[in-house]
Amino acid sequence: MKNKRKSKTVLYIISILIAIVFLSPFYIVLTNSFKTQKGIFINVMDLPFGKYFDAFNYIDAFIELNFVKSFFNSLFITVASTSVIIIFASMAAWMLVRTKTKLSTFLFFLFAVAMLIPFQAVMLPLVNIMGKLGLLNPVGLVFMYLGFGSSLSIILYHGFIKNIPNELEEAAIIDGCNKFQVFWYIIFPLLKPITVTVSILNVMWIWNDFLLPQLVINRPEWQTIPLKMFYFFGQFSKKWDLALAGLVIAMIPIIIFYLIAQKHIIKGVTAGSIKS
Amino acid sequence: MAKVVLKGVEKVYPNGFKAVHGIDLEVHDGEFMVLVGPSGCAKSTTLRMVAGLEEITSGTISIGDKVVNDVPPKDRGIAMVFQNYALYPHMTVYDNMAFSLKIKKTAKEIIKQKVIEAAKILDIENLLDRKPKELSGGQRQRVAVGRAIVRDPEVFLFDEPLSNLDAKLRVHMRVQLSQLHNKLKATMIYVTHDQVEAMTMGDRICVLNSGRIMQVDTPLNLYNYPANKFVAGFIGSPAMNLIEGELLKENNNIYVKIGGGKLKLSAGKAEKVQKHVGNKIWFGIRPEYISTRNWESKEEGIKGKIEVLEHMGNETFVYFKAGGQQFISRIDSVDSRVLESGNEHIFIFDMENCHIFDYDSEENISL
Repeated sequence: MKNKRKSKTVLYIISILIAIVFLSPFYIVLTNSFKTQKGIFINVMDLPFGKYFDAFNYIDAFIELNFVKSFFNSLFITVASTSVIIIFASMAAWMLVRTKTKLSTFLFFLFAVAMLIPFQAVMLPLVNIMGKLGLLNPVGLVFMYLGFGSSLSIILYHGFIKNIPNELEEAAIIDGCNKFQVFWYIIFPLLKPITVTVSILNVMWIWNDFLLPQLVINRPEWQTIPLKMFYFFGQFSKKWDLALAGLVIAMIPIIIFYLIAQKHIIKGVTAGSIKS
Repeated sequence: MAKVVLKGVEKVYPNGFKAVHGIDLEVHDGEFMVLVGPSGCAKSTTLRMVAGLEEITSGTISIGDKVVNDVPPKDRGIAMVFQNYALYPHMTVYDNMAFSLKIKKTAKEIIKQKVIEAAKILDIENLLDRKPKELSGGQRQRVAVGRAIVRDPEVFLFDEPLSNLDAKLRVHMRVQLSQLHNKLKATMIYVTHDQVEAMTMGDRICVLNSGRIMQVDTPLNLYNYPANKFVAGFIGSPAMNLIEGELLKENNNIYVKIGGGKLKLSAGKAEKVQKHVGNKIWFGIRPEYISTRNWESKEEGIKGKIEVLEHMGNETFVYFKAGGQQFISRIDSVDSRVLESGNEHIFIFDMENCHIFDYDSEENISL
């Protein structure tokens, strides 16, 4: 009994230490976002009180980021890219699972292998080709994200769909569904848990991505939040106070999304365990 | 309702495996036809071909008077109940049952009326708002049947619908399905590997083996007049004794030489098998036609050594060996009181009810 209590206490201490390690960057970002530039440099760990307190950082960051515009740019690119990835990856995975031919196996491995190619190896030819096609704009960016995001998403969907019994589709066919109706009415709703996972992974990646938009987007009015953030870090001066306030503003939507989606992940996992 | 006719139906898979070898079968209008056979005998494949879920390689399938070879499943006028229920997990019971009508864009009021009507028949009205995961196995099965009823099909197809249920529930559902058939008077094709289900539910039974029809007949005819050794061994529990033997002719009588002795065939049977005299044959007799009573009478008997007695309560299965061959007898428990394992006993064979099968073709030559 004593030993049990001891090991529990040790576990608590370890958990608290890990939590501190993980949460300390948030603490630093949040506290320093309310300080003046000078206040940040004097003591980065201090709380934002006294003469170094500056809540106007947020207003300045909001204006300099052209937040509303860049937020909607980010939102459009993230939502559109994630949606097309979800739709096409789930459809492709469904067909790859249900079509048992050598070609489908080959295609599946091709998707897996595609993940091994580093982005840096393809980025210059990609930008070159997309430029010639006139797709160096947000729509082209969505198209590129579909290409880069499909592999992992297809693999995730593939594993999940394998566990959906074929009889459900056959029942739907007898009930009068065509292929698309089978997918939309029967298969796609059943993919909800894995769709949440796929969307979280893709939203996090696309929302925070810097390199691809930097290469593709060449007009200020199309810039996403990460691109705008870059302008706080000039060659000769770094506006840490505004940058940190901007970071907090940029983080809020993604944290809200994660909190909402997380609930569904937990729900999905439980439903899945009952089914199996 | 409609009759279903299969003519020369074959199924060859792309890898060259021939699963179904030219099946000819007619399921009458309103009939409850059971397809039964061991695993891999192509009973489910045959059903799936009727449903349109499996393409046929050659032959024709007709439902009603229409050849449906190239008709998609939804237009064949069929409804299918699957072994694992195949209920849509994300929909409520109501939505599951209403789904096919919604796809057909049927008016909401008609959908509601039909779903409630079917739910009443199956006594699942109180479950309509639940999701499949909140239902027991029996309830799920009833919903699956309800989903089929709502479609108002010409033919119901059942693919081992009770095999996922426990023994008690299976008996209950068996009765319910039979009652449903009586109520709906619909044509039903029912696949099972369970011969008890087949015997108790079917108007007629089609026994399949290795993609071929072995016999199609009523349950009692299959039991009493098996057309071949396979049907004889498959139908009935415990299975029919099937013993290697030989036909002999002595003093104008025909005998079967088995179990270290010989048994005289009745005049009727003898006449039918006389041209096989001298040949090796399979001798078949159901366990209930081997008894221990009247062993002093003039009936045909052989001496056997009792190996095991299985007391089932009202009856006893007696496993005995005679002439190195294994037999089983089913006798009244009262008669079994005098029997003991290890003892020798005379076993009486009711030769009026025996069967003689050709050794090579395994066809019943005594019918």
